[in-house]
Amino acid sequence: MENSSEALGSKGLINRHEFVRIIIQCLYSLGYSNSASCLESESGVSYWSNEFQLLESLILNGNLGDCIDYLNSIKDVLGETAESALFLVFRQCVMEYLNCGEDALALGVLRKQVSALDVDKYKVHGLATCLLSLKDRELGAVVGSGGDVVVHDLRRKLLGDLEKLFPPPIVVPEARLEHLVESTVTAWVDACMYHSSSNTVSLYEDHCCSRDEIPTTTTQILTGHKNEVWFVQFSNNGEYLASSSNDCTAIIWKVLEDGKLTLKHTLCGHQQAVSFLAWSPDDTKLLTCGNTEVLKLWDVETGTCKQTFGNQGFVVSCCAWFPNSKQFACGSSDPEKGVCMWDCEGNVIKSWRGMRMPKVVDLAVTPDGEYLISIFVDKEIRILHMATNTEQVISEEHPITSLSVSGDSKLFIVNLNSQEIHMWDVAGKWEKPLRFMGHKQHKYVIRSCFGGLNNTFIASGSENSEVYIWNCRNSRPIEVLSGHSTTVNCVSWNPKMPQMLASASDDHTIRIWGPSLKKKKAT
Amino acid sequence: MDLDPRQYENVAINDNDIHNIVLSYLIHNCYKESVESFIACTGTKQPVDYLEDMDKRKRIFHFALEGNALKAIELTEQLAQDILENNKDLQFDLLSLHFVELVCSRKCTEALEFAQTKLSPFGKEHKYMEKLELPMLQDFMALLAYKEPEKSPMFHLLSLEYRQQVADSLNRAILAHLSLPSYTAMEKLIQQATVVRQCLSQEAGKDGPPPFSLKDFLKS
Repeated sequence: MENSSEALGSKGLINRHEFVRIIIQCLYSLGYSNSASCLESESGVSYWSNEFQLLESLILNGNLGDCIDYLNSIKDVLGETAESALFLVFRQCVMEYLNCGEDALALGVLRKQVSALDVDKYKVHGLATCLLSLKDRELGAVVGSGGDVVVHDLRRKLLGDLEKLFPPPIVVPEARLEHLVESTVTAWVDACMYHSSSNTVSLYEDHCCSRDEIPTTTTQILTGHKNEVWFVQFSNNGEYLASSSNDCTAIIWKVLEDGKLTLKHTLCGHQQAVSFLAWSPDDTKLLTCGNTEVLKLWDVETGTCKQTFGNQGFVVSCCAWFPNSKQFACGSSDPEKGVCMWDCEGNVIKSWRGMRMPKVVDLAVTPDGEYLISIFVDKEIRILHMATNTEQVISEEHPITSLSVSGDSKLFIVNLNSQEIHMWDVAGKWEKPLRFMGHKQHKYVIRSCFGGLNNTFIASGSENSEVYIWNCRNSRPIEVLSGHSTTVNCVSWNPKMPQMLASASDDHTIRIWGPSLKKKKAT
Repeated sequence: MDLDPRQYENVAINDNDIHNIVLSYLIHNCYKESVESFIACTGTKQPVDYLEDMDKRKRIFHFALEGNALKAIELTEQLAQDILENNKDLQFDLLSLHFVELVCSRKCTEALEFAQTKLSPFGKEHKYMEKLELPMLQDFMALLAYKEPEKSPMFHLLSLEYRQQVADSLNRAILAHLSLPSYTAMEKLIQQATVVRQCLSQEAGKDGPPPFSLKDFLKS
């Protein structure tokens, strides 16, 4: 027999006896009883503790008096559970007396012993009600001709209840080994800054994703625009990228199977710079607008302009689609024009104009269509719950330049002129935002986006020509991507290809970023 | 009092009405001698066998008040068999009084037997087991667990107030059976005045009359 107090593990932190006992529990729960009992005899470690085995034999033999004495003798080991355990056994006594018609004895147990226990009074009262009739709900079973069998079942049930109640080391907590392993895996994943894969984590290696999982090097430079590129966004299905520029055009690019992008359509027609665009949720239509421009609706397949909204008097600065791809909201850069809801034919469906409606800086509708979030020039964020028409207002301390909503409709981020990105929850329960910093932003509109599977990452442009990537868990960037020669205005993370990121810059180019090594995936 | 006392002078009151009000109070509470001398003094007429009924009612009421529920039940059934049958809640209350008596005299085994035979049929109906205005069957059974039931959380079930409550209900049930009013005219008048005042002050807001206070009314 091995020394049961021997320590195992490279640091000597593991108690051998406990270790073997937990393994035995696991074997039993996996259904390998033969192996489990074999291990018990080989190691001399018994799964059931001596105390529990004694209780088991006392209870199954109906020796409840001795059982109670024994429980009283190990009160110290039982700690807080002692009184509850005694209650369960006394309860069994009452039941068994009632079962053989000894009502007076049952009553005696209740009055003398049960009421002296330090347990919840309602349990005691409930037991008193059992005295009325055995066919009570407490028992849950009709005591009839199968008297002996029922008593035996009750005793088994009592043991089960005691097993759930007792503390270690009398009883090993349920599924202990699984719990220990999962705690470790969870700790790995929590610490993994680059973690974005949905694969199950292998137990063979300490998990830690490498930076090869996320985009870090330039894989392509797109030069279709003739002036500063102000906005990029991937389509919802990840198959297209749209970009808009100071050269008054917008371009739709196609994402090919090998990850390269080619120009599909150049959308001409705007008179002024196009600073904003929005894909319809079904990716068939694209809206483009600019700070001093009208709003145009384009058909993606043909690249033709279907509608123009607004005129010189009504200038749209930002827009957002509703999930049905038929209606959208737009915000005007004129104060007092407010936010309007249009349909694709140009009809105004709703408008929100306040007494004091400052200029709308940015607008978004959550993908589930429940909330409309607007950013105003007076540093206010207004979250409107569409169904109840109730509004929540968050006041920031610095001017906000842009807004981006996460794919699961739960979170959103805003870029502030104070060089911080703030993350808030859509439901409005957070008192403080999560802050992300490290990039540069003083003067220009810089945009950021969520990225990666489960929106674990944030990427943002910056005035120092670099792209910044954060893991949402940490306020400092995990990656800084260099390549552009001047201010990066906007970024977009491909929602269907988490290793592809696009950035738009004042250097007239769009850069596509991918992972640094092309690893061959093991089958 | 805010109302102008002169308004009262316009209301004519019949002496007979006043006599009836007083009489109904005396009869309700079985004050036999008072009733007799009141009738003698004022010459009011009453139904012939009211005295007999009143005697019976008085005895029943007092048995119930003392906690001698079995006697109260016996006499009630003699008076009219269907009073308790039609009023199961009352029957339960009376039986529970007896149960409480047994518990108080520390005859616990008897109490348990009594509960098993007489009270458990009520246990089949949900309202005696669920949380309602009626004291639950469970509360009574729980008394058995305590060596000193007076110190248990259900001590109010052993109190005079509880017995008074049950005795009053019984009294009202019997009166109803005899086609007499269950509540005295006096009680009803005071309740009426209170409710009317409440309605007035709700409607008129701050300017309305204050809530009815019997004490203030009697002093003014």
